[in-house]
Amino acid sequence: MADKIKILYIDDEKDNLTGFKASFRLDYQVFTSINIPGAIEHLVNHPDIRVIFCDQRMPLRTGVEFFEEIRTTFPLPMRILLTGYTDIEAVIDSINRGNIFRFVKKPWDEAEIISAIEEANKFYLANSMLSIKNDELQKAYSELDKFAYSVSHDIRGPLSGVLGAINVAREMYDIAEMKEMLFLMEKSLKKLDTYILSMHDYYSLQRGELQISDIDFNSLIDEFKHIYTAFADTSNINFKISINQHESFRNDAAPLKLILNNLLSNAFKYQNKHNSVKEVELIIDVRKGVAIIQVKDTGIGILGNHIGEIFNLFYRASSQDAGSGFGLYNVKSALLKLNGQIEVNSILDKGTTFKVTLPTK
Amino acid sequence: MELSFIVIDDTDLDHFIAKRVITNKHKTARVKSFMDATLALEHITEERDDASTKVVLIFLDIYMPIMNGFQFIDEFEKLHPDIQDKYYIVALTSSREVSDINRIKSHGSFKTWLTKPITADALSVLLNKVCTELNIQLPE
Repeated sequence: MADKIKILYIDDEKDNLTGFKASFRLDYQVFTSINIPGAIEHLVNHPDIRVIFCDQRMPLRTGVEFFEEIRTTFPLPMRILLTGYTDIEAVIDSINRGNIFRFVKKPWDEAEIISAIEEANKFYLANSMLSIKNDELQKAYSELDKFAYSVSHDIRGPLSGVLGAINVAREMYDIAEMKEMLFLMEKSLKKLDTYILSMHDYYSLQRGELQISDIDFNSLIDEFKHIYTAFADTSNINFKISINQHESFRNDAAPLKLILNNLLSNAFKYQNKHNSVKEVELIIDVRKGVAIIQVKDTGIGILGNHIGEIFNLFYRASSQDAGSGFGLYNVKSALLKLNGQIEVNSILDKGTTFKVTLPTK
Repeated sequence: MELSFIVIDDTDLDHFIAKRVITNKHKTARVKSFMDATLALEHITEERDDASTKVVLIFLDIYMPIMNGFQFIDEFEKLHPDIQDKYYIVALTSSREVSDINRIKSHGSFKTWLTKPITADALSVLLNKVCTELNIQLPE
């Protein structure tokens, strides 16, 4: 039933409605109404009605008037007018005012109705695809705008800093000061490097196809565990990992790694410098075809009014000099691709927990 | 007369450079640094002790998280005129984005703007401009 095309037929003669329904209900899901309020109710309850047939001669309003009225409120369904006599005025009117898709003469012929529905359905699908493409295009445009703005700042920023430093170095004679500056230059360039790498992640997430394989979380984590363990040791952060997987789990390893890497690097990056005990915890639980990944930190936390925005492209919620504004956006894009979900819990100055839920493929 | 400076920027390196360029020119100049514009705003609102300085020159980065340069200037323009008069705000931008420059120009509180990085030459030109506009003299 769910796969049948939904159509709506409005006519003030009950016999017509009954006959129509009897003829087409096997192939289509047919809704009928004897008056306009009933028709509108169907349209409200079934926004996926694709084709509307309406009789032209009805007591309160003509079919053309009805179509004119619903054109803006229900723009998607294709409109087809049924009329018993060929009145050229009505034809012109219906085309200009009701913007109808087709005319069908009464009494109708079954084959004609079916061909009208099939044609209308093709148009409906083309229109829907167009509107989906259009939305995607709008999104791409607005991201491009953000990109152009961010690129001019985020790429030129570190470069101008390094150029400025070179200028300053010409009149610098103290080795210790020079070394301090080199350290800061390196930090700026690393930030630029991260930005460019994330930009590549962004691109591959938007374009690439999924590559599903068996995921063993233990070996997946092993690949980058040592980087974080080394960092944890030098920065005095307690890094705990617990993985609980006793069943197979299928997914795309690349976006999965991206999610883990971004969440972990955030957890390490946004630690509170003044905390005596610093901790990052990674917990992975695979049960009944669902993986739950939690990354907990004892870091600076996120202010409540920023939480809604942290997944936006180029949004940075901390002035701690590190973010590119890509990380969590990429995490969200990856999750969208994998049908996953993410939750955030954060307390300012106490820490943040990200919880990712992913189904097996 | 003593001229003092405030630098508001989210990048360590840019702070380092600004401070270095300023103190290269004026060894005794006081330079305060803020990584977070909200803290700088608090400082300006509360600070009463630099009565001896006639003018504080603020270098304000435009592109910052949490509170960017434009948000800072919106808040600044709500402050008491007596406070506003003490500060001479220069926008710092790493880009030559037309939209940014136009927005900077639309705020009276941005006296002028500089493209990063700050250089000794640009600072000299700026200080001459400030001195002429405010009719003050700087010690060499």
